[in-house]
Amino acid sequence: MNNVATHGAIASFRRVRLIARHTLGEALHLRLTFLLGLLGAGLVLGAMGLREFNFGGAELKFIGDFGLGALGSFGMLLAALTTSQLFFSEIQGRAAYCVLTRPVRRWEYIWGKLAGVGALLALFVGALGSLIAVIIFWRGRQLGVTSVSLPVFFCACAVQWLKLTLVAAMTLLVCSYSGSAMFASCAGLILAGIAHLRPLVGEGSRLAWLRVWPNLALFDAEALLASTQLPTAFVLLAAVGYWAAYVVLFGMLASLVFNRREF
Amino acid sequence: MMLAVETPWAVELVGFGKSYRTGWIGSQMAAVRSLTLRLAPGQVLGLLGPNGSGKSTTLKALGGLLAPTRGHCLIFGHPAGSDEARALIGYLPELPHYPLHLSGREFLHYCGGLSSLAEETISERVSEVLTWSGLSAAAEQRLGTYSKGMLQRVGLAQAILHDPPLVLLDEPASGLDPSGRLALNRLIRDLAARGKTVVFSSHLLANTEQLCDRLAILGRGEILIEGTPAELLGTVRDEVPQPSRLEKLYLEKLAAHE
Repeated sequence: MNNVATHGAIASFRRVRLIARHTLGEALHLRLTFLLGLLGAGLVLGAMGLREFNFGGAELKFIGDFGLGALGSFGMLLAALTTSQLFFSEIQGRAAYCVLTRPVRRWEYIWGKLAGVGALLALFVGALGSLIAVIIFWRGRQLGVTSVSLPVFFCACAVQWLKLTLVAAMTLLVCSYSGSAMFASCAGLILAGIAHLRPLVGEGSRLAWLRVWPNLALFDAEALLASTQLPTAFVLLAAVGYWAAYVVLFGMLASLVFNRREF
Repeated sequence: MMLAVETPWAVELVGFGKSYRTGWIGSQMAAVRSLTLRLAPGQVLGLLGPNGSGKSTTLKALGGLLAPTRGHCLIFGHPAGSDEARALIGYLPELPHYPLHLSGREFLHYCGGLSSLAEETISERVSEVLTWSGLSAAAEQRLGTYSKGMLQRVGLAQAILHDPPLVLLDEPASGLDPSGRLALNRLIRDLAARGKTVVFSSHLLANTEQLCDRLAILGRGEILIEGTPAELLGTVRDEVPQPSRLEKLYLEKLAAHE
């Protein structure tokens, strides 16, 4: 049999990419994805109805905030629910056995799943973000104002994506141990909630140990949108570094736990 | 001085046992107590037994999906679950739910990629196994439109796609009608004719003796009896045509063990 090497970084990368592509394909066929995408788009389009109030230049800012809020909320649900559903449908349906009895490492499976969900979230953010941008542009031309800078808006969308993939990584960590999709989804959303409330935990508080948990408030897209200028490269790199450190940590922990999992 | 090189067993289970923790306080339940079994390359072994007898646990351990609590499982001399062992097996789970949005050909392509087959080999092998399993005409149809029998055949096709010397089949006849079972039996016999080692589990006794070179009847995680069909069935009186001799042996051994 003409095999390419099963060992080595290139072979691993090839398998991770295959699993990611497969995961994305499955995610795009989930009713849940379709429903959340539709609801998110509906809410963003609903913001157009608010033009009757004619807030002037502030209206664009409002549409941007409202749209990013919808994107963040539905994206959070999408990240937690699809991650757990995609993971457990394969495990409980035993299709994962066909994968894991092949020369596929457990960590490749975990990173493939995470990359697949990351790609789905990129599509979701890209589609909803573009829709909001079109509305802002169109309404701005009608009002003759440009109070929202589109480059800043797209930067805010990218920051939202960072936040959502971090939620997916948290959920995947729970999935690697948990026995049910329902538990993993709920736990993923609770952990995301804790990460949002993290700034409220003071240094001297009894909950100070929660400060090891990632702070999702750092990825505040609305605050970014309030500015008319793009953040400096240093700020962006710091945010990406913070995100990467936690994603790698959660991915590694999930791989370690999943490596010991029995079926 | 010449050193004797021993051909490793295709499957070697020595004192294999598997226990599961059943609660928070750490009580254990033994799914397999102590199982010792050796299978030479090219043989077909049927694992028979009731639900909970340890058939699936044994197959999962051979597939590397769970680790033994006691003893060891070797695949051609490699510990089950190691990269080397997984490259040598094909595995068909019990009633798997395949991704229904993919066509048969797309699903097999995906499996070929995971087995690290070269791109040009994948297309060639996918066409071969589709023909072998009688699914060529349905290759472009979505798996969601396949019957249970077709899904089992696509499962068999993915298991042998990378041409492994050992094929593990967990309840392959589960949920199949008689004609589907007949087609499946023919495929298993064909695998044996190609020199593959096959281990399968089954509840169904009919035709099993014609399929296997060796049979093992399991009960409560132990081997009750094991040997070739001729050895085993020769020990049973053959006076009444109904039930079949194998069925009779199966029921006798289980009753004795209760």
